[in-house]
Amino acid sequence: MSQIIVQAERLNLSYKNIRAVQDVSFSVKAGEVLAVIGANGSGKTSTIECVEGLRKPDSGTVRVFDKDPWTKRRDVYAKIGIQLQETEYPAKIRVEELCRLYAGFYERPADWEGLLSQMNLEEKRKRTVSKLSGGEKQRLSVLLALMGRPKLLILDELTTGLDPEVRQNMWETFRTIRENGVAILLVSHYLDEVEALADRMLYLEKGRQLFFGSQKEFRAWAEARIAPENRREGCSLEALYLQIVPKTTGITMEGIL
Amino acid sequence: MNAITWKRFLFTCKIEFILMVRNFFGFFFGLIFPLMMLVLFGSIFGNQPVSPDSDLRMMDLSIPGYAVMVMGVAGLMSFPLTLAECKEKKIYKRFDATPVGKKHIILAQVTVNLLMTVLGIAILLTAGKLLYQLRIQGSVLSVAAAALLSIAAMFAMGFLFTAVGKDAKLTHLLCYLFYFVMLFLSGATVPAMLFPDQIRKLSKLLPMTYAVDLMQGVFSGDSLTMHSKELLVLGGICLLFYGVGAFLYAKRDWT
Repeated sequence: MSQIIVQAERLNLSYKNIRAVQDVSFSVKAGEVLAVIGANGSGKTSTIECVEGLRKPDSGTVRVFDKDPWTKRRDVYAKIGIQLQETEYPAKIRVEELCRLYAGFYERPADWEGLLSQMNLEEKRKRTVSKLSGGEKQRLSVLLALMGRPKLLILDELTTGLDPEVRQNMWETFRTIRENGVAILLVSHYLDEVEALADRMLYLEKGRQLFFGSQKEFRAWAEARIAPENRREGCSLEALYLQIVPKTTGITMEGIL
Repeated sequence: MNAITWKRFLFTCKIEFILMVRNFFGFFFGLIFPLMMLVLFGSIFGNQPVSPDSDLRMMDLSIPGYAVMVMGVAGLMSFPLTLAECKEKKIYKRFDATPVGKKHIILAQVTVNLLMTVLGIAILLTAGKLLYQLRIQGSVLSVAAAALLSIAAMFAMGFLFTAVGKDAKLTHLLCYLFYFVMLFLSGATVPAMLFPDQIRKLSKLLPMTYAVDLMQGVFSGDSLTMHSKELLVLGGICLLFYGVGAFLYAKRDWT
């Protein structure tokens, strides 16, 4: 049986009067990809930040490598790599300097020069990070997440801003990483990405956990929530998801068009 | 700290130093600008005695003021503006997601700003000695203690401004406002003895004035005990501003 890397039990987190995370429980095993999905504001990032030890849950427990990430930060961070949803770096730092800096944070850093070419950033090594394009920044952010040869990767909006070809390459990279026994916690709005990578899924709505299980189980669960006349055989995960996710208020073009 | 931690910390300091030089602002105002002031005011006032019956010369009085100017650049501008930017852009949050955490980076930023302050003062004193035969009549210990307390007070003000400012804009405003008002009204650029009475009264309300008075005093040979008022004010600023700043940081979520 695979080792459990992350174990979260009945997590609760509030910001002033807003209950961002309510009774969320899940686990991630070695060599597994768990995708956390849900609409904007459903509590995905807050849940992940509790796992990362960046936020302390109001109640509930999180164990990462059997340690509390809030109190045993140094031990936990030696084994995990994180790509945050929004990341900025010091304005005038160069790609190469940032890589050297991050490599120094870990006892056994990855070969960052190799990663630079793997991420197609070799030619940009002397460039100031603030002058990179959105896609290049995103690839750099993934590179830095891989710097410590992590056993758990937490990727928040992995392929946002990347073109289709780079996305496919990135998925391939993460399949290889997973095959090497690394656990991946993936937060994504792209259901094609989830379909391509995830073994299990955690679906959140307004901070509540509505589903946790395999992709196959998610399909069955979601279909059961759709009226029979609206069900379609063999539809994509995205099409299915769009039928169950709460509808956002339409964006009107009144006064613009 | 073991050898690996030291090596890591020194490399982080090196990167922070490179960033500071590239940023130009701290580098120029910390190292070049005080030298320009030295040469400019030196050429205007010369190095004559401050009064016909005084042994104290104009540059002996001005250079400790320029030294406080260097402290102000690091403590009230360079360090807090870097901290505010890193906070607002969530740069620290990314460092928090590594084994070293944001404390490592903040410590490196403080260290580099302190080193720049020491370097700026050293350059200033060397230039003062070479160009205007600067005399430091106080003991090395008194001068060092006065400088350390003054630096700590400047950093305390900057730290409080980063804690008060919910965004970088407010911190920028507070730092610029206080730095430039104090720069011209504290006696750091123009000796306070040249101020009219009203301005001199106003300058007594500014924390930097006490740093300038203390530095000028110990440079001219006064013992620290002769400046108990300045020591009390600067010490009080350190306690109060670091205390309130730390309280605000603890209370507010700034990840």
